[in-house]
Amino acid sequence: MGFDMFKKILFATSATEASDHAARVAFNIARNYQSSLNLFHVMGVPTRGYSQVVIDVKTKEEVAVDEDYTAWVTEEIKTYYENHLDGSFNYTIDVAVGFPAREILRQAKITQPDLILIGGSTGDEDESVYKRNSAGSTLQKVAKAAKCPVLVVNRPAASFWGGLSSIVFGTDFSKTSDKAFDFTMKVAKALDCEVNVFHAIDITPLHTGKMLSQDEIEQKIRESLRKIRARYEPKLKELKAYSMDVAEGIPYMEIVKYARDNLADLIIMAHHSRRVPDEDKRLGGNVEQVIVRAGCPVISINK
Amino acid sequence: MPEGKFCNKTPVDTAEGINELLSDTSGNTYYKEMKELDIDSDLLWKTIQNTCKSRMRTWLEICAHCGMCADSCFLYEVNGRDPKQVPAYKIQSTLGEIIKRKGKVDNKFMRHAMEVAWSQCTCCNRCGMYCPHGIDTGIMFGYLRGLLYQQGFVPWELKVGAGMHRVYRAQMDVTDEDFVDTFEWMVEEYEDDYPGLTVPVDKEDADIMYTVNAREVKHYPEDLAEAAILFHMAGENWTVPSKGWEETSLAMFAGDWAACKMQVESVYEAMERLRPKRMIGTECGHAHRATVIEGPYWAGRKNGQPPSESIHYVEWLAEALNTGKLKIDPSKRIKEPVTLQDSCNYIRNQGLKKATRDIMKHIVEPGYFIEMSPNKEHNYCCGGGGGFNGIGVFRKQRNIALIKKRDQILETGAKLVLAPCHNCWDAIRDLEEEYEIGIRWSFLKPIVIKMLVIPEHLKPEE
Repeated sequence: MGFDMFKKILFATSATEASDHAARVAFNIARNYQSSLNLFHVMGVPTRGYSQVVIDVKTKEEVAVDEDYTAWVTEEIKTYYENHLDGSFNYTIDVAVGFPAREILRQAKITQPDLILIGGSTGDEDESVYKRNSAGSTLQKVAKAAKCPVLVVNRPAASFWGGLSSIVFGTDFSKTSDKAFDFTMKVAKALDCEVNVFHAIDITPLHTGKMLSQDEIEQKIRESLRKIRARYEPKLKELKAYSMDVAEGIPYMEIVKYARDNLADLIIMAHHSRRVPDEDKRLGGNVEQVIVRAGCPVISINK
Repeated sequence: MPEGKFCNKTPVDTAEGINELLSDTSGNTYYKEMKELDIDSDLLWKTIQNTCKSRMRTWLEICAHCGMCADSCFLYEVNGRDPKQVPAYKIQSTLGEIIKRKGKVDNKFMRHAMEVAWSQCTCCNRCGMYCPHGIDTGIMFGYLRGLLYQQGFVPWELKVGAGMHRVYRAQMDVTDEDFVDTFEWMVEEYEDDYPGLTVPVDKEDADIMYTVNAREVKHYPEDLAEAAILFHMAGENWTVPSKGWEETSLAMFAGDWAACKMQVESVYEAMERLRPKRMIGTECGHAHRATVIEGPYWAGRKNGQPPSESIHYVEWLAEALNTGKLKIDPSKRIKEPVTLQDSCNYIRNQGLKKATRDIMKHIVEPGYFIEMSPNKEHNYCCGGGGGFNGIGVFRKQRNIALIKKRDQILETGAKLVLAPCHNCWDAIRDLEEEYEIGIRWSFLKPIVIKMLVIPEHLKPEE
């Protein structure tokens, strides 16, 4: 299929079970859209000061990285994915040493992919190796700084990805959301799928500072719907099918529920790259919560 | 066998040579070859006659063997008070013997001397403070390392490290292009949060020329962004040199005197080319010692000073906070028990204890800063100084060496340790890995950035 939005994909993988769901999606996309796939693995975190020793992210052992070791790890990755690497798409394998988020971003800087694909939490490994030096997860850091869309596949349910027919675009009406919308439209047009634009009104007292009356809530819903129509509908009309909805509640829960009810196979949201004040973390926080909970892959966009 | 393929008397000074040496994983063959390595006793004795001057000869001569230095040495304390760990013994039985025997020592002796020089002394110079005669064993071990390096008896990682300086003028294979490119990349990544953030490269006559540790470029480039952010917030007129940006010196740890000179001259050339009012290095202890304290002598500078006034990062930070160039939001100060690691190289050996205490006053809520005991110039080495952290063959000894710092930290009860020195930071990280005492550790930059009051005109647009 001629689809040049995902021509080059950087698939950041731990080459363990933690990345299996993401791997299925990565290989499916590569097969369906003839992407060239760069499997990228950060094999070890530097330790022992200036020495050549790293802690292997898989075995958690201290190892001396040399050519042999690098070749061995590359071969291991090939073996791990041998059922998928069936010749139906082009792929390359690169391995690096360093802190995963930084090395993924460095690789993206060099290869300029159209999409970074990454698994969700690596569970135990996160605890023992990666977190030793870096506060915050690999995912957060990559999503914050990447220049291309970042597709995250966290849950098993999200991995049965045959293709795209229904996208949920979650908006908070920010400028970054507008960029995410442009990207959504491009994907929807190229793949001929429907777009459901959704905004969730945060009614938690922590955010609003008080309990909202039902009238106030409904007033806000009407306002938001008007906003969505004015902002997005003229463009949405270029699609065959679309819908626009607003709901109240805890935003990330509402988005996850909405995506489930609409049988969405992709959620697209803006990641707020700007450092937000502590008391106002909910925007960036929402994307992260959606990623963790969604039953379908999530694309986060920040630039 | 006189000279091995990997272990020999010839320094590595090509990229190919470094790669070849690195291909000998963990130096396995290197150390095997070392067992056969011949000693050039004539060269050794000639070198001693030319370089072992009156200060060291006097020190070796006047040592009264009183043993006062024993308790000053953390390695003596953590190794079961083994008499062989008494500083006076350690130096007399190595450097003292070589001189006594006029360089006529054998292979076994040299390998033993190497073990003592790199695993029984971190050149922290604490014993020098307690010796009634002022004899500084750390200085002498630095000298002994030079003799051992000349004869090819140097830990594998440090032969690699010194080679890196010879080839890249950096402790790792980071080129000048990599440095500028990475710095620009980092600034770009943060410019949304900090509008106007830039990295001025090769700006002449700036107020500050900033130099770094190549590991920041290679593994922790956020540190570069953080330095840029703090200079930006303080309104400084600063720059980085595209050449001569590396402040550290593994060559100093290795005892590769020629490489020490090459490295430091690259920084001095940058100073002469860009004429900054001041040079400021990153949060690193040995880098400061190499480039600011010892470097001028390696480069043969008569006044003992670098071409531009050079200060440590903590001096700049203390000044920026004291003068209000950087303002801290008091509500964001550290409100948990926190302790501070005094780096030997700039606290004990250069007396910058006030600067770091000033910083603590600004960033820690009163009542939460807990001093280690002992502290300031009396503080102990982190346990990984002088190159100890990176030497695989002495890893076991290094892990024992961490016990002193571990116990000092535990005694404070603090769970957060501020370590404005790369070496200390590494050692403290490793001690958590090794002994799991449940602490966090940090450089100053990321901590300070989190609590800054951002001036109105530097805030990002909404």
